[in-house]
Amino acid sequence: MAFQILLNFFIAVVWMFMTSSLTPSTFVIGYIIGLLLIIMTRRFFPGRLYIWRLWSALKLTAIFLRELVLSNISVLLLVIKPNLSSIQPMIFALPTELEQDWEITLLSSLITLTPGTIVIHVSDDQRTLYIHAIDVDDVDEAIDSIKNTFEKAIMEVSRG
Amino acid sequence: MKTNDVILQTTTKVVFFIIFLFSIHIFFAGHYTPGGGFVGGLLTTGAIVLLLLAFDLKTIQQILPFNFTIVTGIGLLLALGTAAGSIFFNVPFFTHAFDDFTLPLFGETSLHTAMLFDSGVYLVVVGSAITIIQSIGGDD
Repeated sequence: MAFQILLNFFIAVVWMFMTSSLTPSTFVIGYIIGLLLIIMTRRFFPGRLYIWRLWSALKLTAIFLRELVLSNISVLLLVIKPNLSSIQPMIFALPTELEQDWEITLLSSLITLTPGTIVIHVSDDQRTLYIHAIDVDDVDEAIDSIKNTFEKAIMEVSRG
Repeated sequence: MKTNDVILQTTTKVVFFIIFLFSIHIFFAGHYTPGGGFVGGLLTTGAIVLLLLAFDLKTIQQILPFNFTIVTGIGLLLALGTAAGSIFFNVPFFTHAFDDFTLPLFGETSLHTAMLFDSGVYLVVVGSAITIIQSIGGDD
């Protein structure tokens, strides 16, 4: 992934030197040519093309924005509720399959940034996140919703 | 009890570079815009303090194996040397010289000896602040 991006930059720079015009527009043209070359020679690289990972990262951003809006609305509805005794705050454990430090950090940040849920602790073996939620009717449902949105998207980004 | 601060450490690894870059920017911006040696030095100190908070004193001393009192001394020497340099040109103490130079890569640049004085201030601030923190933080 990083190697492919570096190679693409290198091809773009070589293109700039070939055309002997060191301008941004030449760089962009060289970058596009390099991208086409890398797509042509994709069998030589281990792992996927980096544009797919870029695409997954964009998808993750879109999912995050959607969740942000939806959960903000749900918290607003909680706040203006006349009867507050019906909300059920709780702390639950979320088993996670992510392994890298940055994946755990990203997942925790996304969970914390969406209103209504806060990561309060990461277990020592990094297999479990402890999450505090404002209003949970069903724990399994809450775990599943996080797993199916954020965790799946992050896994897609980090997949080879 | 040792808690798992993976989130703090991973975030620190990203944020440290941003703070350090910003401190360098503020340091160089000091002549025409707000900023300068003192603020730049404090921002650099802030970046190192963030490292100290996320990791521990021993690790950071291995990463930055400087004796920060010596850094303070170098900064004072630099400031004093810049001020004393004016003596050789028969002008009053602390007179600064400046001129426009055409540098490779930067193009038309105005260079000023106040910059050297500022880097002295920067080193003094970083050295003394880190010395204070390390002496309070270290229990030896």
